Amino acid sequence: MSLQLDPSLGLPVVYLVDDEDVVRDALAWLLRTRRLLSESFPSAERFEEFLGARPLPWPTSPSCLLLDVRMPGTSGLVLFERLMERRDLAASLPVIFLTGHGDVPTAVGAVKRGAYDFVEKPFADNALVDRIERALAVSGESLLQRREADRFARLQAELTDRERDVMRLVVEGRANKVIAEALHISVRTVEVHRARVFEKMNVKSAVELANLLQQMGH
Amino acid sequence: MPPSGIVPKSLLSPEGRDRRRRRFGLWTVLVLLLGVALSLLVWLTLNYESTRLQEKAESVGLAITSDVRQALGQDLQSLQSLLWNDPSIGQWRTDATELLRSRRNIMRVERRQSLDKQLQLVDAIETPYQAAVFGVMPREQLDAETLLACTNARRLASPAYSRSYFVPLPGGHGLEVIDVCIPVQLSGQPAGFMTATFSLSNLLNMSIGAEPSKGFEVSFVDSDGSRLARAGAARGAGVFVADRLIDLPGTTMKLRVDSVAGHPRLIPNLAVALVLGLSLGLACVVVLLVRDVRRRGIAEAALAEALAFRKAMEDSLVTGLRARDLEGRVTYVNPAFCKLVGFAAHELVGVSTPPYWPAELVDDYTRRQAVRLKAFGTEGLSHESQEGFETTFVRADGRRIAVLIFEAPLVNGEGRHTGWMSAVLDVSEQRRVEELSRQQQERLAATARLATVGEMASLLSHELNQPLAAIASYATGSLNLLKEPPFDAHMIEVAIGRIAEQAERAGQVIKSVHDFVRRREHAREPVRAQTLIDAVLPLVHLQARKSGSRVSVVCPADLPRVMCDRTMVEQVLLNLTRNGIQAMEAHTAIEQRELQLRVQRQGARWLSFHVVDHGPGIDAEVAQRLFTPFFTTRTEGMGLGLSLCRTVIEQHGGQLDFENRAVGGAEFLFTLPVQEPPSPPYQGVPPP
Repeated sequence: MSLQLDPSLGLPVVYLVDDEDVVRDALAWLLRTRRLLSESFPSAERFEEFLGARPLPWPTSPSCLLLDVRMPGTSGLVLFERLMERRDLAASLPVIFLTGHGDVPTAVGAVKRGAYDFVEKPFADNALVDRIERALAVSGESLLQRREADRFARLQAELTDRERDVMRLVVEGRANKVIAEALHISVRTVEVHRARVFEKMNVKSAVELANLLQQMGH
Repeated sequence: MPPSGIVPKSLLSPEGRDRRRRRFGLWTVLVLLLGVALSLLVWLTLNYESTRLQEKAESVGLAITSDVRQALGQDLQSLQSLLWNDPSIGQWRTDATELLRSRRNIMRVERRQSLDKQLQLVDAIETPYQAAVFGVMPREQLDAETLLACTNARRLASPAYSRSYFVPLPGGHGLEVIDVCIPVQLSGQPAGFMTATFSLSNLLNMSIGAEPSKGFEVSFVDSDGSRLARAGAARGAGVFVADRLIDLPGTTMKLRVDSVAGHPRLIPNLAVALVLGLSLGLACVVVLLVRDVRRRGIAEAALAEALAFRKAMEDSLVTGLRARDLEGRVTYVNPAFCKLVGFAAHELVGVSTPPYWPAELVDDYTRRQAVRLKAFGTEGLSHESQEGFETTFVRADGRRIAVLIFEAPLVNGEGRHTGWMSAVLDVSEQRRVEELSRQQQERLAATARLATVGEMASLLSHELNQPLAAIASYATGSLNLLKEPPFDAHMIEVAIGRIAEQAERAGQVIKSVHDFVRRREHAREPVRAQTLIDAVLPLVHLQARKSGSRVSVVCPADLPRVMCDRTMVEQVLLNLTRNGIQAMEAHTAIEQRELQLRVQRQGARWLSFHVVDHGPGIDAEVAQRLFTPFFTTRTEGMGLGLSLCRTVIEQHGGQLDFENRAVGGAEFLFTLPVQEPPSPPYQGVPPP
């Protein structure tokens, strides 16, 4: 199975946080053989430093975080809790825990709280890469959604107040006559506004408009 | 009288003082009345005595007075008879001489004639019994009183007596005499007088009879009381005196009777002595009675105080007290004991099988009690009474409690052993806590062991995981590359190099584990056998106390040290002692439950540790599999104990073995090497 991602999203990146150099290097090498870019950090603190230096919004390309549970200093779990507090990262940066012997219950708990998955060391490596790719796909999906939302917000910003009122009533399924009465304007004017809204929002019908609004959570 | 410190306080309280004062008043009145009665009695007795003596004196006086009168009367008649029929002078003289011979009190008879108004002595006759009266002093100088009496007689024309007067006698003696003057008439014409001189003392001597006047001095006294003539007893005491007057014509004489007895004295008088003695006795008895009552009162008050004190003490005790007689019947329980077992005192006293004995253990307890009661004065008991023994009671509400009992023999006032006094402590709470802490400790130890093992496993797996994970990654990656030619051979070379590296690292980890295990063997140190036993003894005692077993230790002081891993060997000892105690719990009578820990030398290089129980011993069938891992006769055991013990001992180079003893019970023993100087190498075979 190979990763199919929208090329417009950019190259996917796997972030590796593990205190064991050997494991980190081996994983990075493995990812390379699967044509995946990776970036390694020896500790949670170093990853946070890196994160603080990124301009928002971040990530701009599909990403995934491989996080060791046990590390000296800030442990993987603590780092995960901090990341979960940032809503913008929750969907775009899926977290896969790497667990050693005896940490399985901890990892399960983390998954329940929103981690994407966990793998037990020593791992069946290609299976791990497969999961990484699925996580990247999730991240890409989330980036696409974000891009869509941004576009919608930009379109909506172009509408006048009157057009927004008309759009609201159209989506509610009112007839033009009803809308005209409600807004105390002529039916003709309503038709003009309606055509403008369709044009600006880049839709062809009221149904399409309703779907778009629903998708964007309105 | 006890020292004031012991006098109970109640005696000093106001009401006590009142009572005391009242009692004191009563006693005083009694003593006073008694004194008055006794004094009265004595006084009356003395008074009666005085009266009696006085009356006697009076009656004697009366008797003598009449005798004197009679004598004088007779004398006078005799003298008058001399003059009858006008006798001639010769005749008169003959008659008078005759008369003087018969009457000793008449000293002299005279005839006188009136001549020129003078009385002339005519004739005189002296008594023949003594020298002439007027020998020393002539009659003429001593007849004043006589002439006075004659004058009286002439006037009266009848005989008259003179007053008494003193006549000196030769040799300084003298004689008190009295004269009587009798007028003589011749043919109806006065013809002079006849006078007679009486000796007063003779008169008295004649008059006093023998018996009645004995003990009295009889005397004539003149008006001023001076004695004129005396007779009878030597000298009167002058206390009981009777004076009688004797009236004679012409004069009066006073007769005095004076008892020899003086004032009646207390002691010589039998009646008085008797009364006095009795009263003294009575007084003594009263005094004794007072003292006795007083002592009794103090003792009573002290006793009441002590009783109240004891009662308060017993009531305030938290320790239950129970007394039993020699048959094991309960004779006394205190409130704390009743509270402890939840039964009322009347339900317990007199019962030989108390209701607080658990029903299923009654036989056991009865037997144990018989053993204990019999064991008075033996060695074992004194030990037990110091340490107490533990047992189980069941309360009235059915709850079971663990109690600790200390027993001491009850010895009565005569030194006879009459029963047992036990102090009973509720230790169930303490036992529960102990049990809990023991369980907790065991659990903790097990957890710690598990944790250690878990930690070790975790560490190991982590250490091994890293290289293994890396190896797996490189291998997978290489495979990935090889599947899609053309591949970069250099990359694969790098990967295989890393794989080799990581495999070696894993090997290092395994090696370090090995080293760790080997290091454990170096933990052996020289330890004294006593130290090993002391370390496990508290736990053994705890276990033993639970089942009522005794633990004895035989460990000579001069044993050499053994080389061992202390912790491990202590575990072995604990295991074996626990097995022994548990073996005795089921089938062994309580008095035989004894576990012995013995250490002895086995040759020069070994010490052997013996754990001897009095249980049923070990079946042949069980014995075969005793050291097999996972074999157990108990439901809760894992069956690893003995097998592990054997491994531990064998690791130390010793042996663990057991045998059934001929007298019953099993003996487990193991050997440990003694500390030896480092140079000589190991030689010989360990003894079994």
